[in-house]
Amino acid sequence: MSQLRVIGVEYLNARPLWEAFRVDPAKPEERNAIAADVDLRLAPPSELARALAEDEADVGLLPVAAAATMGELRLLRNMAIGARGKVRSVAIVAERPIHELESIALDLSSRTSVVLARLLLARRKLSPKLFAAKPDAAIAGIGDRTGALIIGDPALLLEKRYPYRLDLAEDWFEWTGLPFVFAAWFARPDAVSREQEDLFRVAKQKGLARTDQIAAEHAARSGLAEESLRSYLTESIRYDLGDEELAGLQRFWSEGARAGLLPASMPSFEEPRRSASRPSLDTLLSRAADGERLSKAEGVRLLREGSFFELGLAADAVRRRKHPKGVVTYIVDRNVNYTNVCTTSCRFCAFYRPVGHAEGYVLSREVLGKKLQEVVDAGGVQILLQGGLNPDLRIEWYEDLFRWIKSEYRLGLHALSPEEIIHLSQLESLSVRTVLERLHASGLDSVPGGGAEILVDRVRRKIAKAKCTSSEWLDVMRVAHHMGLRSSATMMYGTVDTPEERIQHLVKVRDLQDETGGFTAFFCWDYQHESGTHIAPGDNGTHLYLRTQAVARLMLDNIEHVGASWVTQGPAVGQVALRFGADDFGSVMFEENVVSSAGTTFRIGAEAIERRIHDAGFKATRRNVRYDWLTEPV
Amino acid sequence: MLLDSIREKVRSGERLTFDDGLALFNEPDLLAIGQLANEVREKRHGDRTYFNRNMRIEVTNVCVASCLFCSFAKLEEHMPGAHTMTLEEAWKELEDRKDDPPTEVHVVNGLHPGLPFSYYEELLRGFKRIDPKVHLKCFTGVEIHFFAQHYKMTYREVLERLVAAGLDSLPGGGAEIFDEDVRKRISHDKATADEYLEVHRVAHSMGLRTNITMLYGHIETFAHRVDHILRVRALQDETNGLQAFIPLAFHPDGNGMKNLPAPTAVDDLRTLAVSRLMLDNVDHIKAYWVSLTPDVAQIALRFGADDIDGTIVHETIYKAAGTRSPGALGYDELVRLIREAGRTPIERDTLYNVVREHPKARAPEASMKVRDRKRALEVLS
Repeated sequence: MSQLRVIGVEYLNARPLWEAFRVDPAKPEERNAIAADVDLRLAPPSELARALAEDEADVGLLPVAAAATMGELRLLRNMAIGARGKVRSVAIVAERPIHELESIALDLSSRTSVVLARLLLARRKLSPKLFAAKPDAAIAGIGDRTGALIIGDPALLLEKRYPYRLDLAEDWFEWTGLPFVFAAWFARPDAVSREQEDLFRVAKQKGLARTDQIAAEHAARSGLAEESLRSYLTESIRYDLGDEELAGLQRFWSEGARAGLLPASMPSFEEPRRSASRPSLDTLLSRAADGERLSKAEGVRLLREGSFFELGLAADAVRRRKHPKGVVTYIVDRNVNYTNVCTTSCRFCAFYRPVGHAEGYVLSREVLGKKLQEVVDAGGVQILLQGGLNPDLRIEWYEDLFRWIKSEYRLGLHALSPEEIIHLSQLESLSVRTVLERLHASGLDSVPGGGAEILVDRVRRKIAKAKCTSSEWLDVMRVAHHMGLRSSATMMYGTVDTPEERIQHLVKVRDLQDETGGFTAFFCWDYQHESGTHIAPGDNGTHLYLRTQAVARLMLDNIEHVGASWVTQGPAVGQVALRFGADDFGSVMFEENVVSSAGTTFRIGAEAIERRIHDAGFKATRRNVRYDWLTEPV
Repeated sequence: MLLDSIREKVRSGERLTFDDGLALFNEPDLLAIGQLANEVREKRHGDRTYFNRNMRIEVTNVCVASCLFCSFAKLEEHMPGAHTMTLEEAWKELEDRKDDPPTEVHVVNGLHPGLPFSYYEELLRGFKRIDPKVHLKCFTGVEIHFFAQHYKMTYREVLERLVAAGLDSLPGGGAEIFDEDVRKRISHDKATADEYLEVHRVAHSMGLRTNITMLYGHIETFAHRVDHILRVRALQDETNGLQAFIPLAFHPDGNGMKNLPAPTAVDDLRTLAVSRLMLDNVDHIKAYWVSLTPDVAQIALRFGADDIDGTIVHETIYKAAGTRSPGALGYDELVRLIREAGRTPIERDTLYNVVREHPKARAPEASMKVRDRKRALEVLS
């Protein structure tokens, strides 16, 4: 039997479930029989879902919201982390009664708790402003009318500190009469045999027998009272997963789905493929068309099996619901690639030149000025400024440039993809936040979503080794969004990526959007294979493009706009894409060096774009980067 | 709703009317029309999608007609760019394909006032000498009408002499738009609609199979398109000699209507779909990739079309009008285009006999590999 790859969280309340799998580095000889069959890894909760989704783990102690997002997992019997009534470690705390709060800071480290908090607030018809904050900041920010959702040790430490406290599990029990399950062991389909499942039950028995030591150890580390921790582990937390707990879990998932916060997955102890409750494709499509949230597994099914027209019609229905006025927007802007010197050598890129190459360039102010004036003269509203990672260009160069552009031309500045921000932060030894703040102060308006490629590290390592990881990319966007900057999200598929990985990409974008709401629009296109690029094309073609865009429209229920990428697909396919979920036709561009180096040379003007929009049955209008209409649609 | 009643009619096999056709052209929900056309297409052909190995030879661009939409023909022989092949030059085109012989030679020409009729007879005989098995699909209804006038024969006499020389079937070009007013404005000095249809009627009565086209997207209205399609349907009721209906998108570059924009992809797809729905008596609807571009032709395989034409080689008429399509698609590229659309590629001969059936790509459309798509899309300089 090969070792099972198991991933757990380091939280105190999870320790009894996995501790027996751990090999104490100090006493490796004590490695027991069950630890030998298991390769245990501990990680933060967000990493858990990623590892399971990207096949780096077989079983994870997954928070139940993340499990619903993935879908098609098998639940292991009898083990969970839950509470029947008060849980003590998950609570909204405040100086005033909850219904008097104007805002609540959310510790986003537990998505499950956040969803639960939203449900409980909605049930009370309360709608305070919710905002994300790190735990320390959330607590520090508690004020007259501002509360905080606190989780874990801080919640236990501050148990008596605030006069008002809503214990979420207790409130859930009062509402539903059911226990609340926070996390459980979830396995990838067919990854765990029934015999292996027993390992987890043995581990739980051993772990529960050690709760006293666990409490003592944690007390020593955290400064919390040992007795309080002991009662927390033995009385507040319940480690069983029986019929009542399952009913509580089902209730949570269906309430979450009804509120549009979770996919409507139903847990099962059976292997998902054999599950009788698996919905038909028709059901999935009509649920998606109605705006229900799809799980990752459901998205994969649609991408693999959904028929051309049904995907298109469902995506068109979503587009119609989100944009009932039948308006398709486009922007007049210009893509300026300020330098082609780049240190990353991505294998799909025909544009870059290495440092010191004779064909390397940095655009002069004179050339740039001419280009910008043309944009202004043509009625353009912004420039998209992107370039290679050129180590000769320091942050001051960008700050000067941005200030000059803003003062001379007054164009919107949609500039520097996350990769370039990270490059600057490394070059200058500054945090991403500082880089963004300085650029924002110099005139940066929004961040383009380029360079996302596929936000799965297996793919990124293969096609763009030197580029940032998926979580680094997402972190830049997170910071930018929290500062109030907006950005687009993109996906370039069709290299080594699989349908599962494309959907995983969409789920990551959707998760961040749940957190920040900062993405304005989503665009996708396939890898443009041409001379100068160094990877063989994978899945591509016009049908796949239309299907992929349609599935993206169905998955990304929290992103307002989907744009057709006519620059890569051609204006004809771009027009048809307006019936596959897109409500934006991208930009009338003067130039687009990166794609045109790879041989794609589509170029059309505003009149031709409007004609295509009209012919597809829509009204057209120009927009700015925030998708505000600049004229009345015609 | 009107679309619902049309859907009912289509599903119960009831014929669509002129008003139904007009309603379909005006229906904004493109996918609903496409889906319905696809139902009809799949009922007739399943996933089967036809293509052939053909070559185009245009022996002369000298033409007495002056069609507004044409960027190809030159009026007179001595004008710059005018060219007429010698018989040897024309035959050599086929001889040069010895290693990769086409199953069909498709000849379409200008209406040349200065050649003897024997030129055309010899042309056909020569092709058959080179390859007795090759199918000769030559001369549009417009050319046959011109031959009859110019050489003072009846349609039947013209066709009989050409058949004796090797003619196997007629291509569908020259139909343009049948409506008399539109036809007068865009091509006043060639076969009228009735004359064109009469040529096909006579050809069918002699056992020749033919195709008919429709040139759309210029000055005609949706009503003119429906009228055109209905005239095709009426002829087919009478003769049953049509194999395929081929909507052709108007391309504006370098011709008398260069101020008009070309039809958009949505219009292309809608026109194919409505054609499929209206023509309940015609077997095949062809998405002519040269006029549509390979990308749109591929999507068209979901909008009622079951044929994507052939490997072509040497297409010059659309090239002169500025199509973005390449001049030729390789055999393998056509197979890939069809497979990526989730269909089964069937190599056919001109009469739709199966030459070779290729396997359909394994079920999920999303996991197919289509390489070289961009090569197929390369823009002509």
